[in-house]
Amino acid sequence: MSSSLDKLLENPRVWRGSHQVQRKAGLASGYPELDRCLPGGGWPTEALTEILTEQYGIGELRLLMPALARLSAEDPQSDYSEPGWIAWVAPPFQPYPPALQQCGIDLSRMLIVRPKSSGEILWSAEQALSSGTCAAVLFWAEALDDQASRRLQLAAEKGHSWAVAFRPMLARQQPSAAALRLELHSTAQGTRVHIVKSRGGRPTVLTKLL
Amino acid sequence: MSRAWKSPATARDATSTPLAVQQALPFVEPAPLVNPLVLTPTPVQRLWFCIWLPGLPLEASRSSDDAMAIVEEQQGIHRVLLADAKAQSAGVMAGQSANAALALLPTLQLEERSLQREQQALEALATWLERFSSFVCIADRDVLLLEIAGSLRLFGGLRPLREKISNGLRQHGFDASLAIAPTPLGATWLARAGRRVCIRDERNLKRALRLLPLASLNWPEGLCASLTGMGVTTISDCLRLPREGFVRRFGAEHMLELDRALGHLPDPRNSWRAPERFCADCEMAEETSDRELLLNICRELLLSHEQFLLARQLGTQRLCFSFFHLKGPATEFHLGCARADRSAERWLELLRIRFDQLVLPRPVIATRLQSGMTQALQAESACLNFHTANDRPARRYSIAQLAERLIARIGEQSVHSMTLIAEHRPQYAWRAQSLLSDWASSTLSEFRRHLRRPLWMLPEPALLPADSGYPLHQGERLRLLEGPERLETGWWDEDGISRDYYTAVNLAGIRLWIFRNRSRPSCWYLHGYFG
Repeated sequence: MSSSLDKLLENPRVWRGSHQVQRKAGLASGYPELDRCLPGGGWPTEALTEILTEQYGIGELRLLMPALARLSAEDPQSDYSEPGWIAWVAPPFQPYPPALQQCGIDLSRMLIVRPKSSGEILWSAEQALSSGTCAAVLFWAEALDDQASRRLQLAAEKGHSWAVAFRPMLARQQPSAAALRLELHSTAQGTRVHIVKSRGGRPTVLTKLL
Repeated sequence: MSRAWKSPATARDATSTPLAVQQALPFVEPAPLVNPLVLTPTPVQRLWFCIWLPGLPLEASRSSDDAMAIVEEQQGIHRVLLADAKAQSAGVMAGQSANAALALLPTLQLEERSLQREQQALEALATWLERFSSFVCIADRDVLLLEIAGSLRLFGGLRPLREKISNGLRQHGFDASLAIAPTPLGATWLARAGRRVCIRDERNLKRALRLLPLASLNWPEGLCASLTGMGVTTISDCLRLPREGFVRRFGAEHMLELDRALGHLPDPRNSWRAPERFCADCEMAEETSDRELLLNICRELLLSHEQFLLARQLGTQRLCFSFFHLKGPATEFHLGCARADRSAERWLELLRIRFDQLVLPRPVIATRLQSGMTQALQAESACLNFHTANDRPARRYSIAQLAERLIARIGEQSVHSMTLIAEHRPQYAWRAQSLLSDWASSTLSEFRRHLRRPLWMLPEPALLPADSGYPLHQGERLRLLEGPERLETGWWDEDGISRDYYTAVNLAGIRLWIFRNRSRPSCWYLHGYFG
């Protein structure tokens, strides 16, 4: 009886919530409340994170700033090589350097890329992710299908880079290979962060984060 | 008489030269005697590598696999100068008239000798040889000389160097006769005589040269004939003649040549220097639109470009390909990279990224590659691989390489980094910085921290509608949180501002950075989001 159960559980198609593949330490987000909800205690680096918003400017950058500041200041993975770059692919507005510096980000390590078509956005993001020089790649993509997200996920693993995709709320219906999916809702009380999908974690709603 | 000689050995030999010959040397000026210590420095041992290309006229114009011969006009008749192996096996020989050769082999391809083409081939070869020595010299129409004493250590000795050069020559399609000797003329004569020798010591040189026939000296035919008539057939016979009489009958010039070949007199040479900018064409027999073929041609051009730069230890940041059409203007295609580079691989990778987007209006008949300004190559030192193995694999490429790949695909204007500028006007407080130029780190290290600035900036301020003096955003009245921060500056140029900036929040909780122009108080503008 137990042996047949074991056999069933060995089947790779059976996914068990309790069994979590090697949990890597995450990148501290700077928001202790959020860190507690994320497996690994922080942002999942070397993976794709998706952030869905109704509109841009509601706090999605503030959410990332402490983590980006840490990434641009030092390279957590090695103690001798230079810290990584942060690539911004197709940002909807101009990331404003004085404000970035106020957040503690090293401006000499910013790379702004403005591709013209959605195909080029994904290509640029993939190049930056797999290059191994970018610690984080932020990109704004309207169209990101399942296959593309899988490619980017693999590129992020290959280049040891943190991929962050910003997408409109409409994309919530589409499947995605992202390790982490967040939804940001702006309310009069502040921005509500909703963890929709988290590999190895649980969906949660954080109301008073930002 | 006092004379400044390079080495004691040559000085001793020179004193044995009869006075008459020495006075016949118009260009050897007696040098003023200075400190004797300076006059006798350690002799610099030089070693000359001679490449004689007897088949150059043929090899320079080889274009097909058919039997081929080069003809040259001699006294009004076209005579065969050189025939390749296939033609020779059919009986075609040097000296035959063109008609006789065609009668023997009707399919024979005859080509007129072109000295210009030979010179080009020789220069291309000299360019290639610059990788082996810093001193390459085109000594004659078919002779190349390399000074290799300084290269022996780098290439691991004489034998590997010789093998490298002779293999390379074979790959380039040249059949060469090689010889190595301490004097340039000695090496040339040995090579001309077909002696595959390597003489490193000057003392052995005389013995090796003695046996050479006069024909290998490339002296005028009349001179050789009269010497042969006197029973003088080798160099040793020549040396046995009384110098004074030899000089009087045949001129000092040839005696001096002998002295130089034996190392009794210095023999300075000019070093060949290839032009510093690369430009090469590749012409096709017929027009083509085959992109794969064009890419291959570009690859060939890039490879020769790489060799060109390698010999000079240079790199370049820009390349320009021109595709010529039979009608209409040429299509130009520019490539740029962040760090000066010469690697054909890397340029080809960039070319591939861009090549898909290239529009060729017509088929292409010729391709040209021109390099931009060259600059000294800065080698990048790689880090030791002590730690990388365990946790982090080596980087695939540097930020410069990433940038140039992105630029190759989406254009130089669309990829940049940023730097701060000490300026109060928000739109001028920063500047995009090209990644292809040198990226100086931000000059302004610390921005004024107490000022609130939004993370998102609009490229241009957007006019906000107003309702009885209050700004509206998405149809709702904004609540002002902070402000005003007055910025009134820039009067010294055209773009002066006079604004009151506020932080505002809309009903959805989004914080905005808005301003009101002081000159036109009724107008509100949105300038950024706090993100």
